Amino acid sequence: MRIRLRGGRVLDPTNRENAVARDVEFVDGRVVAPTGERADAEYELGGAIVMAGGIDLHSHIAGGKMNLARLLMQEDRRAYPEKILPGMSGSFCGCGGGRAVPTAHATGCRYAELGYTTVFEPAMLGSNARSAHLEMADIPNLDTGAYLVLGNDDFILRLIARGAPQEEINAYVGWMLKATQAFAIKIVNPGGINAFKFNARKLDLDEANPHYEVTPRTVLTTLIRAVTELGVPHPIHLHGCNLGVPGNDETTLATIAATEGRRLHLTHLQFHSYGTEGDRRFSSSAARIAAMVNANPNISVDVGQVMFGQTVTASADYMSQYRNRGLANPKKSIGMDIELDAGCGVVPFEYRDKNFVNALQWAIGLELFLLVEDPWRIFLTTDHPNGGPFTTYPHLIRLLMDRDFRNAQLATLNKTAQAHTLLGGITREYSLEEIAILTRAAPARILGLADKGHLAPGAVADIAVHDENADREAMFSKAKLVFKDGRLIVRDGEVVDLAPGTTHVVRTEFDTAIEGKLDAWFDRTVGLKAKHFRIADGELRGGRGPTVLTCVGGAS
Amino acid sequence: MSSETSAGAPLIVKDVVCGFCGLGCDDLVVEVAGREVRPKASVCPEAARLLRRLEPAGEAGPVTDEVYDQARRLLDVARAPVFAGLGADIEGGRAILDLAIRHGGVLDHAASDGLFANYAAVQRTGWLSTTLAEVRNHCDVLLVIGEDPAAAFGRFFERALPAEALFAASRHVIVLGGSLGASARRQLGGATVTELAADDPVAALAALCQMVSGPAPRGASFGGAAAEALAEAAAALKGAAYAVAVWNAGSLDRADLIAERATRLVDALNVTTRAGVFPLGGRDNVIGINQLLLWRLGYPLRTAIRGEASEHDASLYATGAALKDADLLVWVSAFRPEPPPAFDGPVIVIGHPDTEFATPPDVFIPVGTPGVDHAGTVFRMDSIVSLPLGALRVATLPSVAEAVRRLEPVR
Repeated sequence: MRIRLRGGRVLDPTNRENAVARDVEFVDGRVVAPTGERADAEYELGGAIVMAGGIDLHSHIAGGKMNLARLLMQEDRRAYPEKILPGMSGSFCGCGGGRAVPTAHATGCRYAELGYTTVFEPAMLGSNARSAHLEMADIPNLDTGAYLVLGNDDFILRLIARGAPQEEINAYVGWMLKATQAFAIKIVNPGGINAFKFNARKLDLDEANPHYEVTPRTVLTTLIRAVTELGVPHPIHLHGCNLGVPGNDETTLATIAATEGRRLHLTHLQFHSYGTEGDRRFSSSAARIAAMVNANPNISVDVGQVMFGQTVTASADYMSQYRNRGLANPKKSIGMDIELDAGCGVVPFEYRDKNFVNALQWAIGLELFLLVEDPWRIFLTTDHPNGGPFTTYPHLIRLLMDRDFRNAQLATLNKTAQAHTLLGGITREYSLEEIAILTRAAPARILGLADKGHLAPGAVADIAVHDENADREAMFSKAKLVFKDGRLIVRDGEVVDLAPGTTHVVRTEFDTAIEGKLDAWFDRTVGLKAKHFRIADGELRGGRGPTVLTCVGGAS
Repeated sequence: MSSETSAGAPLIVKDVVCGFCGLGCDDLVVEVAGREVRPKASVCPEAARLLRRLEPAGEAGPVTDEVYDQARRLLDVARAPVFAGLGADIEGGRAILDLAIRHGGVLDHAASDGLFANYAAVQRTGWLSTTLAEVRNHCDVLLVIGEDPAAAFGRFFERALPAEALFAASRHVIVLGGSLGASARRQLGGATVTELAADDPVAALAALCQMVSGPAPRGASFGGAAAEALAEAAAALKGAAYAVAVWNAGSLDRADLIAERATRLVDALNVTTRAGVFPLGGRDNVIGINQLLLWRLGYPLRTAIRGEASEHDASLYATGAALKDADLLVWVSAFRPEPPPAFDGPVIVIGHPDTEFATPPDVFIPVGTPGVDHAGTVFRMDSIVSLPLGALRVATLPSVAEAVRRLEPVR
């Protein structure tokens, strides 16, 4: 099937096309060079912007913690009932609803309406991986993938504590990536979630775990080395120590220094950029941290922007979530120690614009966006749903692109917070091209997805078309057309079809000698056999299996 | 299956995964000879009963197209069906959910009473919980509220408190309002056991909670438990490195209050040490079906789909209450021969072939058992871990998913 998009303007930063007027053509789900051949369908775009489908590299869309959040926040579900899809009349699909924690179907549909076609779940626990994959299989219209949480599991801490050789660590990481069908490695509060199980209430970068005497720094550097040597494209995806704690700016700066030039992705950096200046002992360190990010090309970040309103925070970082449970709104929260693996904490939260801390968090996020210079190393996230639901992205894009709008918003916030931010003086406005970099070109590049995030021949025909509009929030709220694998799924901002996605996984080489040790570990200690922990390819996506990216290792 | 196969040499199958009670044992040993299945080792009495297949000759065969046609007709005319039982693996659950989305109706599971007693606590305040591997390795003081867990979860103590632990230096089990049987005691080996009789476990637990969190309440006994013994239990819990509270809400009176007080107790303990609740339950994949509904509909079990929306009400859409307004019962029970509840209207049963009925249903579609006849996925009671069930023999009956998909309109 050959489809042609005529009269659009192509925005493809990967291939240095900045609103180039040309046709885009795709055949059977892949982009081809434009031809004169008869097309099965043609769409007249009238100058609309044509981009690759959006890629979100950090959004909590699946897994046990999201179901706990749904269970706890039934009010979110009730407030956002099923959306009627006029384009699909008579074919009620049981989409469910919700805003902060939408159902699997609603997640796929709402993302598609914004022009996104690929989303990564950034915190999959190995023990919960089968469940996360079952859930991802029910998300329509999106390709997915998940980062495996490591570094708080007792198996790796035991390896590190006894000084196991790096090769053995690498073998374990390689085995776990395969067993859990993961795409990258995430570390959440390195060793801290584990330390909480031994009643430690905080763990700094160089503080020893009370049981293993291993520091977060060692966990981090060991796992950075592992993914580097295994050749995993995405660097370690780090949720650092001391999330949300004033003064964690020092931890963040020390963490960047600890990489010694090796690649590292710092996720939801906003929550890790807090100083202790001022009467309230809470201040922005965005400028210091952005300067350090700018000076270290090995570092990439996503922001985790706070957006005002009701949401629910869900994180593997039980240590931090337990600390924050007093701030829960409504007043209820769930915590869980999980399977010698990690943990989870679910805390409902309402970010209020008249609240000093919340308003400053909002400003800190925007400062980071505007002060980090290289758009290829910063990504547009709200850490959905932790800073706010992903459906607020169009509003966030306008805040980045429209200085007057941003300053008008700033003027309505808590007055003390206004006095504590540089934001009003920052003149930068993101260009459309930069937004395209943040939301598709750069994520594809950092994830190693060679056939995504651009529109050159051979690319996957995941395509988003947006009508130009000076109101960038309106422009990005409703895609004019979205194609998933070449199939039309959204027209005029409404879902018109549900296409099955795939799940991206990586495979690395590893020394299989680790298997005997893992068999014994799972059987005797965990109480579940390794072969039952492991997830077969056929368990993914209703039997269709994953899309595998084979890693080439060796570098160190 | 053919007689040649049944005449073959018995096959010993190791590491069989069990999906019946929700404890998630995956080390069972069974002997399979043709269509016969005999439990051999690491099998609790309940699993043995549900796995054993000794008279395959008398097994029901698959039903004809006409039976599916009749079921389809009943579904087509029903205005308020109830889909209950829901004893199915995840694929079976997906098929039932799709059917319910097509026809509308209420969704509930046969074992959801305990779940919703616990949710009364968890949805109001949340709770701090833990999972099996953490209990196995961290727990040094286990508080059991109510009956011996080994009664419903045969290998509970063997699985939760084995002699070897990575971290727990010792094991102390405190039973409040119950006593441990011989099997539990055997599994516990050298662990210390303290039994605290209580005729009102809710009141006793409330007092225990108060003793942990602040000044002890005044009185010589609470709910029939001596104040002194409760104070000793409170001291043991506060002195624990990692205390865990378990109860089976499905077998307790006023289970919602037990859950609420256990939650408060664990909250209080976590101020100074570490602790978690570990609620028992989860037979016939109730947890898995509940998880499926949460990610598909955004609501747990006891949800109704009407028109193009769903709504949840834990009282109104419980099976018993929902049947009062129903005009069709679709009962699914693949794990065990559990008959449907009494109902005046038409009944479709998609169930275990050995089900015995007081009144024969209008339609009976026998299905294979997950983990015996079919592979499938089930969730463990902690809702975090899910397990791949395997097939022990070639299926002659459809799976729940296969049977339910055949009820979709003929295209």
